[in-house]
Amino acid sequence: MARADSLAKLAFAYGLHLTRRRLTRPRSQLAKLLETYAPDGIRPLLPDERERHPHLIGCINCGLCALAAGRVGKVRLPELASSYMRLYARLGEAASDVEGEAPDIEAAASACPVGVPLVEVAAIVRRLAAG
Amino acid sequence: MSAPSAHDVCIVGGGITGAGIARDLSLRGLSVLLLEKGDWGAGTTGSSSWMIHGGPRYLEFDWDTTRLSTQDAGYIVGIARHMVYRVLFIIPVLPHDKNNIERMETAMEVYDRFQPLKKAHPHVRLTADEARQAEPGLSSDVIGAVTMEEWGVDPHRLVFANVQDAMAHGARALNHTRVVGLLRDGGKVIGVRYHGPDGVTTEARARVVVNAAGPWVPEISRMAGAEVQLRPAKGIHIVYPHRISNFSISAESIDGRDLLLVSHAGFTLLGTTDDDFYGDLDSVDVLEDEVDYLLQAFERVFPSIRTYRPARTTTGVRPTLFKWRRYEDELSRKYEVIDHAATGADGFVTIAGGKLSMYRLMAEQTSDVVCRKLGHQAPCITATTPLPGNESELEPAVELSRRSGIPALAAMRLQTRHGSNAGAVLQERRSGRMICRCEPITEAELVHATRHEQVRSLADAFRRVGLAAGPCAGAACVIRAAGVIGTELGWSPAQRVDAAREFVRGAWLGRAPILTHSGWAQEEMASGALRGLRN
Repeated sequence: MARADSLAKLAFAYGLHLTRRRLTRPRSQLAKLLETYAPDGIRPLLPDERERHPHLIGCINCGLCALAAGRVGKVRLPELASSYMRLYARLGEAASDVEGEAPDIEAAASACPVGVPLVEVAAIVRRLAAG
Repeated sequence: MSAPSAHDVCIVGGGITGAGIARDLSLRGLSVLLLEKGDWGAGTTGSSSWMIHGGPRYLEFDWDTTRLSTQDAGYIVGIARHMVYRVLFIIPVLPHDKNNIERMETAMEVYDRFQPLKKAHPHVRLTADEARQAEPGLSSDVIGAVTMEEWGVDPHRLVFANVQDAMAHGARALNHTRVVGLLRDGGKVIGVRYHGPDGVTTEARARVVVNAAGPWVPEISRMAGAEVQLRPAKGIHIVYPHRISNFSISAESIDGRDLLLVSHAGFTLLGTTDDDFYGDLDSVDVLEDEVDYLLQAFERVFPSIRTYRPARTTTGVRPTLFKWRRYEDELSRKYEVIDHAATGADGFVTIAGGKLSMYRLMAEQTSDVVCRKLGHQAPCITATTPLPGNESELEPAVELSRRSGIPALAAMRLQTRHGSNAGAVLQERRSGRMICRCEPITEAELVHATRHEQVRSLADAFRRVGLAAGPCAGAACVIRAAGVIGTELGWSPAQRVDAAREFVRGAWLGRAPILTHSGWAQEEMASGALRGLRN
């Protein structure tokens, strides 16, 4: 009985929805969506970041890059590529961690055994932290 | 055998339901003993999708279930504010999907009526281009999408917060303690007999024994001479140790089921399966076929999924109520509170079925039955009483970072686990040394977890604070963590190595089904870093 009642109400809602779609002109809601969820850090990656993303998060935290070059701001390079990249939704709250000097990241990247592009990682972390 | 203790109520099972009942009854002023054979939330609860969700799927079956579910999710969000976060789904529609975009949007329009109950935003509809602007990784075959909001939560922390609050109100809660029998007086159940982690057998008297053992409910019921039939269903998830996307995404499987890629704080879950399970509940394996089933479905909407390196798999068994002649996916997530007095086992109550999102309501209704049996009159206050850590507003993470000297990211993560108690956790031992860099976890937090949160092994630390949950899967932290926990618990050097070895071997079982060529690079590195602990 509950199921029949539920399906009947859904059928009515479907009819109402189709009627409303015919009578109103659809407007883009993407901007509103992104604005609503910006405080929660739910923001899109840029298309080129998305394409490169599987490589950007390849860090296995072996620590070799830290031996080659130290930190970005207060953050050791292995943490930048592991914890900061994995928690990228809320980096705005941790912006102060990545402010300051950047070492010779290219030298550090050349030591990476799995080829994480640390220069790109540093750029995306700083972009997302800046909001 | 040590001398018996006496309680008003003994609860068997320390998943979210048992922990919720322990908290409810303690807040009502009853003396409670809570027993868990493994660790808090280590069974079905920890293997869930980590969501407090309202259940739009029930719209086809029973709108009242959706209303109750969203309402209770709203209560949980209110009492555990520091622990929960918004999870925004993009539900893409492809040609030939079982639901076209109009049907999908209709369902979301109806669901929007319930969303305010859990403080969630209404859906929006996106064109194919807009959906790909939001998530550029979506397939070019997508013809449109709708969004849906749910809440994410760490179920291990949620369980422990309930346990912690129960203890703060007088309950005794023991993990790694297995119930081996029930004490009977004729048919009546008058207590339990249990083995503690030290191997000692103890008896505890209780006026009511509550069976909240999840899929183990039938086993505990048999000890009381009662029969409760379940239809256990196995589900697996693939765990990626990063956010693959800021958006969560749904996909349709080859057999028409809805699968979810869920973005949590620092990792992503892809799941789940739903299959009848007849095996050993204490040894549930993930099969490569199940992994392929999930990946096949998801790559239709997100083609690059196979280029991501998973960290492990999880699996658990749902305690679904028994029903004959239904496909697994059609089984209800309803629950039932059974007072066995009618069948001759007075003093014995079972709670069976249900789901994480409705745990508080399940606990309330079970506690009501217990209170009626005991003639105890006290109202349930769990819907409005904050869980530990949510009693006051959080200070900004940057401020905590400045005061304590730890990075702001570490401060932020600490607050999601401990809420307003984060500052006190750091006072435990004034050491901001990072033990687990991926998560990140400080030495002070690990010491606190060992001293005050019943951590007795590295696996307990994984559940309590997320130790070794990140991309390195423990290669960089397991030995350091064994040293910190071992110092607190008085382990010898050999015991520390044994503890690390036990953790590494256990973790391997969850990783083996998902290793790909990129995964093996990490395995090689971990193997070297852990100096043969796997052998």
